[in-house]
Amino acid sequence: MTLKPKILMLGWEFPPLLTGGLGQACYGLFKALSNHADLTVIIPRSEKSLKLKNIKIIGLNNLGLESSEVEEEEISLEDFADVRYIDADLNPYPINTAFFSDPAFSLETLALKDPEEIRALYNTSETYGPNIMQKVATYTEIVSDIAKTKSFDIIHAHDWITFPAALKIKEATGKPLVVHVHSLETDRVGVNARNTVYDIELATLEAADKIIPVSKFTRDCIIKNYGIDEKKIFPIYNSIDPIETFREEKKIREKIIAFVGRITYQKGPELMIETAERLSKKVDNFKFVIAGTGDRLKDIIKMSAEKGLSDKFIFTGFLSKKYVNRLLAQADVYFMPSVSEPFGLSALEASQFGVPCVLSKQSGVVEVLPNVLKANCWDVDKLSNYLYALLNYEGIRKHLIEHTKKDIDRMSWTHSADQVMEVYRQIA
Amino acid sequence: MTSICFYFQVHQPFRLKDFNFFKIGSDHFYENDNQNKELLYRIADKSYLPANQKILDLIHQSGGKFRVSYSISGTALEQFEAYRPDVIESFRDLVKTGCVEILAETYYHSLSFLYSKSEFERQVKKHSDKVKALLGVEPKVFRNTELIYNNDIAAAINKMGYKAILCEGVDRILNERSPNFVYKAAGSGMNCLLKNYKLSDDIAFRFSNQNWDEYPLTAPKFANWVHSVAGNGEVINLFMDYETFGEHQWAESGIFRFLEHLPMEVLKHPDFDFKTPSEIVDTYPAKGVYDAPFFTSWADEERDLSAWLENSMQGEAIKRIYNLEQKVLQKGQKELVEVWGKLQTSDHFYYMSTKFWNDGDVHKYFSPYDSPFDAYINYMNVLSDFELCI
Repeated sequence: MTLKPKILMLGWEFPPLLTGGLGQACYGLFKALSNHADLTVIIPRSEKSLKLKNIKIIGLNNLGLESSEVEEEEISLEDFADVRYIDADLNPYPINTAFFSDPAFSLETLALKDPEEIRALYNTSETYGPNIMQKVATYTEIVSDIAKTKSFDIIHAHDWITFPAALKIKEATGKPLVVHVHSLETDRVGVNARNTVYDIELATLEAADKIIPVSKFTRDCIIKNYGIDEKKIFPIYNSIDPIETFREEKKIREKIIAFVGRITYQKGPELMIETAERLSKKVDNFKFVIAGTGDRLKDIIKMSAEKGLSDKFIFTGFLSKKYVNRLLAQADVYFMPSVSEPFGLSALEASQFGVPCVLSKQSGVVEVLPNVLKANCWDVDKLSNYLYALLNYEGIRKHLIEHTKKDIDRMSWTHSADQVMEVYRQIA
Repeated sequence: MTSICFYFQVHQPFRLKDFNFFKIGSDHFYENDNQNKELLYRIADKSYLPANQKILDLIHQSGGKFRVSYSISGTALEQFEAYRPDVIESFRDLVKTGCVEILAETYYHSLSFLYSKSEFERQVKKHSDKVKALLGVEPKVFRNTELIYNNDIAAAINKMGYKAILCEGVDRILNERSPNFVYKAAGSGMNCLLKNYKLSDDIAFRFSNQNWDEYPLTAPKFANWVHSVAGNGEVINLFMDYETFGEHQWAESGIFRFLEHLPMEVLKHPDFDFKTPSEIVDTYPAKGVYDAPFFTSWADEERDLSAWLENSMQGEAIKRIYNLEQKVLQKGQKELVEVWGKLQTSDHFYYMSTKFWNDGDVHKYFSPYDSPFDAYINYMNVLSDFELCI
C-alpha cells in the first residue's frame, strides 16, 4: 500500500489507567498498527505523560485545552510496570440497567454540553462508574463533533462504550466501520442478557462492515447470541509484548494457585471455591491466592468461610501491576475457570512468568495456548484433577512450562496488526 | 527364488479407566473393562475373525503354499480368553495347518528392554509359556515391541536361544543396501529379518488413501511390484499390524478382496513363494552385517523411540513404573506383579506423545484420551494408587 490509511480509532480504557484487558490490548495493537496506518485515537481520558510515536491521542478530559493533541512524539511508553491498574470501579461490569430503564431516557438528553463539565466528567480514575451512561452519551456527542473536523478512511471502534459514537459517525459520513469486540454483554452478564448494552451491541454489530472478535470463541458468541452473518467476522488474537520476568521465593509453605482479575460472574469465582473444596478433601499443600475485586468478592469470601475453606484462600483485594508480577513470580499454577472469556490476557501474563495454566474451554486464550490444561468451566471434577496434577507431578509441569514459553515467544502484536491491516484493505 | 514373509502383529492393551485423583488410595482397580471389552468385540468381528478365516481358506486353497506368521501379545491373549475365546480357537486352527508360525515378544508389549533386562527376560518367558499353553507351539523367532531394536537386543535374544529377530529396515543403517536379504546383527551375529517398509506400508498405510498416486492398489499391481525384486533379493518382509485388515483399512476399502487375490497373483511367478521367519533363516544365509548401535523402531518417519520416550511426561512416568520393580517382586503377590506388568504396556506412553500436539493433529495417534496431558495425568493417578498398594 502506497498511502497509509487514516483510521479514526475509538477507545475507552487506555494506559496508564487500566481495569482489565481492554486497555492493554488496545495499547499493544495501536502501537503495532501505527507502523502501517495513521491513527487518531479518541479516548475519554488521556494523560500528558503518555505519548506514543506516530499516534495522535485525544483525551476528552483535555477537551478545548491546548495539549489535547499530541503530534508525532518520539517518546513511547515502554513498560507496563509503570502502569497503574485502578480498582476505583468496584464493578464496571455489568452496567446497572435500572439506571436508564426510564422510557424517556435517550443518549442525547444525557450528554453534557459544557466543556468544563465534560473535562470534569472524564477527569477521574473511574473509567466506568455509576454515571457510565452519561459518559457514553457525552462521548458520543463530542466524538462525533470531533470527527467532522478530521479526515479519515475507516472508523475502528472498541467495545460497546464507543459503539454509539461509531454508529453516529458512520451515519453522518458513510465511512466504513470496523467493530473490534474485546468483550460482549453476553459474556459479562450471561447469554440471556437482553438490555440496553446488548441493544447497542446488536445495532452496531449489524451495521458494521467488518467485525474483529479477539477469538473464535467470541466469533461463535457473536453468531449465536447476536445472529450476525459469519462472513463479515474475522477473529484476530490478542498478543503480548515480551517483558523481563523473574521467579521469587515463596513466603508461604503451601503451593500457590493464583488468579488475577475481576471477581465477577464472568470469571466463575464459585468454581474456584468448588475446586478448592474437592482438592482439600485429598491434599493440604495448596493455597488459592485471588487477586482482584468485583461484585462477587463478598459472596465468595462468605462461601469459602461457610465451606470451612477460609485457610485455603487468600483474597488480596486489588493489586498493582508490580504486586501482580510478584504474585505470578511465586505462583505454582494459574487458574482461570471463566464462564465466558473472550480472550483472557492474564493467562498470557502468567505464562510469561512460567506459571502453568488450568483454564476453562470457554476462554479465547486457549486457542493460542495449546500447552495448557483445559476443561469445561462446569466440570469441577476435571478442573480439580488438573490442579492436583500440576501440584504433584513434575513431568507435566516441566512440559507445559517449556512448551508454553515457545508458544509465547512466537506471539507478536505485529502479526495481529498485519491481520487488522488485511481487514482494512478489504473495505478501504 | 524369492520368498515373501508375512508377519502380522496382534495386540490390544488393557486401557485404563477414568481415574480422577479422588480415587487415589481408595480404588485399586484400574482397567476400563467396558471399553476394553467393547473394542475387543469390535476388532474381533471386524478384523481378527474375518482375516483369520480368509487366511485359513487361502492356506487350504493354495495347498499350503501360502504361509504367514503372527505375534500376539500376552495382553491380547488374556483379553481373548476373557471375552472372545473364539478368536483363540481360530488362531489354533491356523497353527494346526503347519503353515503358520507364532513369534515371541514381551508379554505386556512393553519397553522393558530399555529399563530392566531381568524384567524383559521374565516377560519374554511368560509370553512363550502363554503361547505354548494356548496354541501349543513354542516360538523360535523374536520380535520386540514396535520392532524396537539395536545390537544389544539382538545379542540378548541370541543368548536366550532364539534363531532370529525381526526389525525395521532402516535406511540410515542399510546405507543403500537392500532390505530384501537376511542380515547378521553386528556383534552377536544374530539373524535379522528386515521389514521392507515401502511395500509393507503400501498395504498398511496407503491402501485406502485416495490421494495416493497408486490408488487403488490391486493384487496384480502389488504382485507386479513384488515380482520386480526377482534376482535382486531373496526375502521380502511384509510386516504390519493385523488390524490393517478390517480395522485400519475398512472392509469397504476392498482390503479383504486384496488379501484374497494376493497369494495367487504372487505365485503366478514360478520363482516366488511364501515362507515363515523360521523357514527364511533355514533357507537363506545372511548376506551382510546390520549394525544398529542406536535404537530403531517401526514408528513414524523418524523410526526411533520418540513416540514413547520424547517428552518429560513420558520420561517421568516410565521411570516411576520401573523403579517399582524390586518392591513389587519382593512383595511377591501375583496380582500386584500382574498389575505392574500391565502398567508397562507401551501404549500408555504412546498416548502421552506430544509429537503432533502443537500441529493440532490430534488424530495422528489413536488414543482413548482427549489429549496427551489427560493420558499422562490419568496414568500418574493410577500409578500413585499402585505405589500406595505396595
